Amino acid sequence: MPASVADGWWRPFRRVGGAAIVYVDLAPEPVREAAALTWLDEEEQSRRQRFRHEGARRRFALCRAALRAILCSQLGCPNQQLAFGASHHGKPYALVNGQPAPVGFNVSHGSDHGLIAFAAEGRLGVDVEERSPGRDFDGLIDSVMGPDERAELALARGSHRLHLFYHLWTVKEALMKALGTGLSPDVSGFEIPVAMRRGTKTSIFRFPHIPAVRWWLEDLGNEHFAAAIAHELSPDSH
Amino acid sequence: MASTGDRLKTLIADNLEIDGQAIDVPEDLDISLLDAGVSSVDLVAFAKLVARDFNIKFTLEHCTSLNSVKEVAEFIDSQPG
Repeated sequence: MPASVADGWWRPFRRVGGAAIVYVDLAPEPVREAAALTWLDEEEQSRRQRFRHEGARRRFALCRAALRAILCSQLGCPNQQLAFGASHHGKPYALVNGQPAPVGFNVSHGSDHGLIAFAAEGRLGVDVEERSPGRDFDGLIDSVMGPDERAELALARGSHRLHLFYHLWTVKEALMKALGTGLSPDVSGFEIPVAMRRGTKTSIFRFPHIPAVRWWLEDLGNEHFAAAIAHELSPDSH
Repeated sequence: MASTGDRLKTLIADNLEIDGQAIDVPEDLDISLLDAGVSSVDLVAFAKLVARDFNIKFTLEHCTSLNSVKEVAEFIDSQPG
């Protein structure tokens, strides 16, 4: 197993308010994969074996091992004491010696890029997607975008349309993951703030059905991937 | 007439892939598309295909709440018509 972050396949990526985001390199690399396996417990090893595709096995092992290494460092616990539970909707959380750990996290991977977000307080969600230029977006846009979002996508062309679609989708998915209810409610039932649709990197968002809760949104995308984080703001923050 | 499971397998084979490879759906259909590595964007597209092919209401929420292709097949078979 790697002796330090410098030996690992992950590195600090960004700080967003109270959240730290780590980038995980998921490209094929047998030495890293062998090191990752040493971090996984018996249940995780079995889960990995059940993946039928090599890429899925690799991404799971590298992401889970990075998550374990970082949590152990943050929480000051040995790997053997760390385990994971899951909410009713499947959102995982960390346990140390069977007790919930005082840190939240969220994991996403798209193609060979992984992101893990950590925060001591507030629900958070992160999403990363590799932009796929060959896709027919028309049907997807009708399914997942609101009316104003659809209108803006209808005016966009070429690579701008590609970037705008994945930008909006990653923000929406980060919000749904932060909410922790899977992909319900209907993702076309809310829209990303207009300033963010038009290029602003950050925004504050409220779901129409829970307006009292505010979420900090930040675009984390770059030339390699689209990505976003949603982090619940504390009620007394400004 | 092909069974619901066989039709789903065909839909998956024709429309979804992971890392450029077809998805190997087992005979018992006990595979989660999300766990297999299908992206959320691909799942949206797949949900639309299922809705159109089986002429039922089938949303992304159905797709993510059902844990396996087998459960998707059972859901489809439970729909009237």
